Amino acid sequence: MYDWLLFLHLISAFLLGVTVVIYSAVAIGVATPGRTLFVADRCWDVGGLGTLIFGIWLALNLDQYDFFDGWILGALALWFVATGLGQSIQRRMNAPEGEGDETRALASLHWIRTIVIIGLLVLMIWKPGA
Amino acid sequence: MSVLAAIRPDDWNLALFVHLLGAMVLVGTVVFAITSTSAGNMRLGYRTLLWAVIPSWFVMRIAAQWLASKEKLDDLDPEPAWVGIGYSTSEGSLLLLIAATICAGIAARRGSTGGLRTATLVLVAISLVAYGVAIWAMSTKPT
Repeated sequence: MYDWLLFLHLISAFLLGVTVVIYSAVAIGVATPGRTLFVADRCWDVGGLGTLIFGIWLALNLDQYDFFDGWILGALALWFVATGLGQSIQRRMNAPEGEGDETRALASLHWIRTIVIIGLLVLMIWKPGA
Repeated sequence: MSVLAAIRPDDWNLALFVHLLGAMVLVGTVVFAITSTSAGNMRLGYRTLLWAVIPSWFVMRIAAQWLASKEKLDDLDPEPAWVGIGYSTSEGSLLLLIAATICAGIAARRGSTGGLRTATLVLVAISLVAYGVAIWAMSTKPT
């Protein structure tokens, strides 16, 4: 059970990685096809839901982790921050053609989201306090 | 194995972090190459393969070797199945990615969107499926 939950949790995390990579290309000014952005947004939706559901299931499934461990609560907080940033980025991308400031704001939001996702990965690996 | 994996020693963490980060960037850039190529932008697909996919493959693979040496996996006889799956999928996929990069490069130079585009797409898509298998093997650790 643990193995399959970890697999599904990891696949979901990889989907988030796909979104971050594609939007990094957008943020550095690569002209990205609409189909690519559509795939990135769907990966974000599915990956976000998957990491949360399978992550919580994993925490409840393993005896050595408690749902209220600091690193799990920290990961949940970062997940909500990343989700909020992701929604804001999707909304801005779907808005009518923006000006220079809007493009810069979009790039800034993306880089903050990237740092948050890397922070999540750090928490998942080092598990401080576990 | 599952419980052992959940409580690994701390000095494996950095190698695992670099391995996972490299693998995530690899999968992300592979998806980017597939969607760009399928949209007919061979130049973007070629550049993605050459400047992002192949370098991230090396980051993933070198970190994998670093992790394997810390875990002393290469000393195990017989080699665990999941380690063998990891090596064969990663090394096999490098050949596919190099072939795909060559196809995409020629297609971009000729401005072609025919057979070479299809060949690029098929080669990169097989690599992506292989990475799905590798992620399954790394997480479920079949014996």
